[in-house]
Amino acid sequence: MISAEEAARKPLPTPDADTAAFWRGLRDGQLLLQHCVACGNVQYYQQATCRACGREELEHRPASGRGKVHSFSVVHRAPGPAFKADLPYAVLLVELEEGPRMISTYTGGPPDEVTFDMPVELALEKVTDEVTLPRFRNI
Amino acid sequence: MNKDTLRGKVAIVGIGQSPVGKVPGRSPLWLAADAAKKAVADAGIDKSQIDGVLSSHAMASPFHRFSVAFSEYFGIQPTFSNNLQVSGATAATMFNIGASAICSGLAEVVLVVAADSLMTGLTPDLALRSLTESRDQQYEMPFGIPVANTFAMTAHRHMKEFGTTPEQLAKVAVTQRRHASLTRGAQQTTPITVDDVLNSGMVTTPYHKLDCSLISDGGAAFILMSAERAKTLGIEKPVYILGGGECYTHEHIFLMPSLTVTGAVESSRRAYKMAGYAPDDMHVAGVYDCFTGTVIMMLEDLGFCPKGEGGRFVADGQMTYGGKIPSNTHGGLLSFAHSGIPGSLFHFHEVVAQLRGDCGPRQVEGAKLGLVHSLGAGFATNATTVLGTEDTL
Repeated sequence: MISAEEAARKPLPTPDADTAAFWRGLRDGQLLLQHCVACGNVQYYQQATCRACGREELEHRPASGRGKVHSFSVVHRAPGPAFKADLPYAVLLVELEEGPRMISTYTGGPPDEVTFDMPVELALEKVTDEVTLPRFRNI
Repeated sequence: MNKDTLRGKVAIVGIGQSPVGKVPGRSPLWLAADAAKKAVADAGIDKSQIDGVLSSHAMASPFHRFSVAFSEYFGIQPTFSNNLQVSGATAATMFNIGASAICSGLAEVVLVVAADSLMTGLTPDLALRSLTESRDQQYEMPFGIPVANTFAMTAHRHMKEFGTTPEQLAKVAVTQRRHASLTRGAQQTTPITVDDVLNSGMVTTPYHKLDCSLISDGGAAFILMSAERAKTLGIEKPVYILGGGECYTHEHIFLMPSLTVTGAVESSRRAYKMAGYAPDDMHVAGVYDCFTGTVIMMLEDLGFCPKGEGGRFVADGQMTYGGKIPSNTHGGLLSFAHSGIPGSLFHFHEVVAQLRGDCGPRQVEGAKLGLVHSLGAGFATNATTVLGTEDTL
């Protein structure tokens, strides 16, 4: 059970051994995907092994940052006090040009302009010195 | 049909439900014990005969080993016990594992029990926030995704691909509210219209407030034993577990293979196969209904209508009396109660009661075969159970 004090703060990611490179990449301005040198699988999120073949020969390569909206939902009731000030906002399921999908939010315009299969591009948002969130805007 | 499966070998011989909705001053353990006491009485056994307890974590309870804490509270010392957790799918898995334990000799009389106090013990705000905490800490939570979000995005895509409409989604809520109006003790019984749903305020598109399930207190319990033992004890109207199936396709919504075809296809295929029955054979169903669109997608994936036609199926009255598959006749999570993990146990309680012919004004005439589908975590977890009367063995 979480306390009311905790609920008032926005949750921020705590990188672990598997994901430190991903969050460091965002801080440096890049959205990193893992490419398996052995089988060619491209994966998001980051982990120590390839989800397709199980090998560990994974390379981090920057994504193009382009993709399209596979699905979305405009939030009108916040999941907690911390997000109330942002309402309404569009949560996106973005399908990246490289194949993987990821959860993000829409930025740079009103949420009601989001449509299915709309092309979007990466828009980095620095939240703290440690954390930069990958968001997306209309191209 | 594989003779080595659990088909027909285990019977549900006792069912019980605590009060549901807003039940102030009662802990999850009390709610669980109240349901268990009723299930024990319904089975006509003594609680000392229970040697197996399967439960799940209660969010409003400080006990990490709820099944163990429950046994102490209830005054029993089982020799088989565990806490299961695959989110909303847990309910059906409890019957799979309970039946397996009985078939394998690990236990003879298993109590399946779960309860929580989300409404008064936790409060709706903290309940929703705690449920949100179950999403990925790095890749989902920082974006402020509500509990409803994964289910909203699947339903939204379903609307885009198949033309499912907000009115069709609303019809699910309207239908189930009508069912709940016939159910004593249901949390919401006032009839609603499609317009009421559409005007109830947007939560997260495409879901309005009345497209979303309730936040409740409450618990349910079941007594399971071998079919032979049930016969020896002369149990009246045992309901048999005919088939079980599960399927886990992903953890993160962004790795869900398809947003509109779920693991329910495979979990139900396995359950039907074990049971030796097909979707068309079912007379009544308990279909997990955390949101209205969830029901529409499940009616398709469970084989009651073709993919993409769930919206029209519901609008045509096929999920209620006189239709193809009367579903959630107690009102479901949308109108009866949703206390988290126990929520889908209420579907089991209803389908068992239907198969016994005990549902009074909401009885589905001649119901002999029923299905319950439990799911959770944005369709990550799916479990299906097929139940039947003695005639169906």
